[in-house]
Amino acid sequence: MIGNLRRFEPFGAAPVRVIDESGRWVAPFACDLEDDALRALYRDMLRSRRVDERLSTLQRQGRLSFVASAAGHEAVQVGAAHALEAGRDWVFPYYRDLPLALALGWPLVEAVAQQMASRLDPARGRQMPAHAGSAALHMFTVASPIASHVPPAVGSAIAQKLAGRGDVTLCSFGDGATSEGDWHAAMNLAGAQGAPAVFLCQNNGYAISVDFRHQSGSADVAIKAHAYGMPGYKVDGMDPLAAYYLTRQAVQHAREGLGPVLIEALVYRYAAHSNADDDSRYRPADEVAAWRRRDPLPRYRRFLEGRGLWGDAAEADLLAEIKAELDRAVAAAEDAGRAPLGWMFDDVLSAPPLQLRRQREALARTRDLERDAH
Amino acid sequence: MAMQTIVQTVARTLAEEMARDERVVVLGEDVGKRGGVFLATDGLFDRFGPDRVIDTPLSEAAIIGAAIGMAVHGLRPVAEIQFADYVFPGFDQLASQAAKLRYRSGGAFTAPMVVRMPSGGGVGGGHHHSQSPESHFVHTPGLQVVYPSTPRDVRGLLRSAIRGDDPVVFMEPKRLYRAVKEDLADDDETIPIGLATLRRQGDDVVLISYGATMAETLRAADALAGQGVSADVIDLRSLMPWDEALVLERVARVGRVVIVSEAPRTLSFASEVAATIAEEALDLLEAPPVRVTGFDTPYPYAQDRAYLPGPDRILHAVQRVLDH
Repeated sequence: MIGNLRRFEPFGAAPVRVIDESGRWVAPFACDLEDDALRALYRDMLRSRRVDERLSTLQRQGRLSFVASAAGHEAVQVGAAHALEAGRDWVFPYYRDLPLALALGWPLVEAVAQQMASRLDPARGRQMPAHAGSAALHMFTVASPIASHVPPAVGSAIAQKLAGRGDVTLCSFGDGATSEGDWHAAMNLAGAQGAPAVFLCQNNGYAISVDFRHQSGSADVAIKAHAYGMPGYKVDGMDPLAAYYLTRQAVQHAREGLGPVLIEALVYRYAAHSNADDDSRYRPADEVAAWRRRDPLPRYRRFLEGRGLWGDAAEADLLAEIKAELDRAVAAAEDAGRAPLGWMFDDVLSAPPLQLRRQREALARTRDLERDAH
Repeated sequence: MAMQTIVQTVARTLAEEMARDERVVVLGEDVGKRGGVFLATDGLFDRFGPDRVIDTPLSEAAIIGAAIGMAVHGLRPVAEIQFADYVFPGFDQLASQAAKLRYRSGGAFTAPMVVRMPSGGGVGGGHHHSQSPESHFVHTPGLQVVYPSTPRDVRGLLRSAIRGDDPVVFMEPKRLYRAVKEDLADDDETIPIGLATLRRQGDDVVLISYGATMAETLRAADALAGQGVSADVIDLRSLMPWDEALVLERVARVGRVVIVSEAPRTLSFASEVAATIAEEALDLLEAPPVRVTGFDTPYPYAQDRAYLPGPDRILHAVQRVLDH
């Protein structure tokens, strides 16, 4: 029950932290995770970092058009994913949520196929890279317009409340999203309805180039929860165990019918906003370097090593495994070829109108619709 | 059966659909205890309770967005936007989320839902209670758009919209809400979205309209009959998809056509119908297709009777195609 599990109080001045920068356990409660679960957090973080690096390489090689790196965001996303029941709960991610999607169980080949608009992409090559989605995982397909997924996430949570099975919806977004009207409309509705939603703001300090001081007059994002009648928490987003334990508490709160929760995770993106951005125009180099020294991967590795759960051999084995898995996924996605031209006309409505059928036929007179669109 | 108005038909059909399928839920501003500002949800709250008839905060983005999330979970939400003029804060939810969900997910997720909105002018409401914004929705692939004009069509199309698998923008002709009455048989008739219907049959000119201007169009047809001119009258009822086949068949037969819509003229749905006729049936026309529409102004207040395409403007257009 929540009474026994409540470890963190809302609206605290300091962000929730479970391990410190040296990887030492500092929380006032004992770790109750099995060794395998502790290692799984690290595996998912390292795997995500490596996938991220490979996608950047593929983008530079011209093999995919766009990349929005999530490096620096791994701890909060992996920690949050491990606090959910994938396939039971629902997740409404945003475009920088690849670590979250992979940690929930998004098959790597689907993830890579989506980036490459391959024929293996279950979403049929309909979107630019960085737009995850999976019906099996209850992971709502990402849409680019910022915060536009937050009202549907609240609708999802209302449906879960009506179903009465204790399922919850986690909705993830960046700090820029909190300025959109849709965000406030959704937070307000969630509060009014007592919807079982966990809102996860990954505040990396910048919406592309606009820093948080220019984004909001609020001291932070968490405080905004107060106005919507829900608890707000800040968490050290570079600490996967803090993210895990706080999300677990928030999920339990929502499962028990106590309403929505807002979590603000303080993180940093190590790369520019995207491959098309130049972050040196707005971020001081010493700020980037300072956050680099707080990289969640070595920090959490130190924690595991302190418990005797990790070492160089395990690291080498895992890196080799990830590389092999990535090589296979990239090869499969590329070998399958890109989404064919004809797929452009499908999935508009449940049945194509006469006019659309005619447009398809007209194009088919001059182009082979079964072939790659390029 | 007693005669029933359009707005009574909306409420009754919603009640029937909610009784028929427990997945159907209604949400919007004032739809609960108040029964809707036009009474289009009258009686639902008492009968089905607050879990299925949800009074929402005053936010169209929240209403439409929540409906999308509920639809993804397998519910069949029917959202009410109090006036079509107020849909724009929720337009992003319709255009970016609902319309593109099936497409962007490769069919993994769909949003079968209905967004009802009282539409059109003639109720003394000025430009923010009178607009006919159907072109925005028709021009957003992924949405179905209907705009019926009679109780029977409202019932049959609302049933199809709720039972179908697509997001449907359901525009209701609010100046006809209580002006058109019909005695409906107690049956389960559905009307497929995308089919037009013939309201009159004639040989001299084809009049095409939909929504509230069907009333003016029929009055014009009656006046023409008094002058010895027989008009074919098509009620499109559905705008996306729309019944091009019936339109072309009737226009090919008669060769003269006037299209009536109260929306602003440029890029109006009347323009799409006229362009299609020109492209597909030019050789069969005796005169150019003529549009009778609202003007390219914001909907006016003091002058709204002149803005709306009344019978006089329709008759003038008919004279033009007959004289050609």
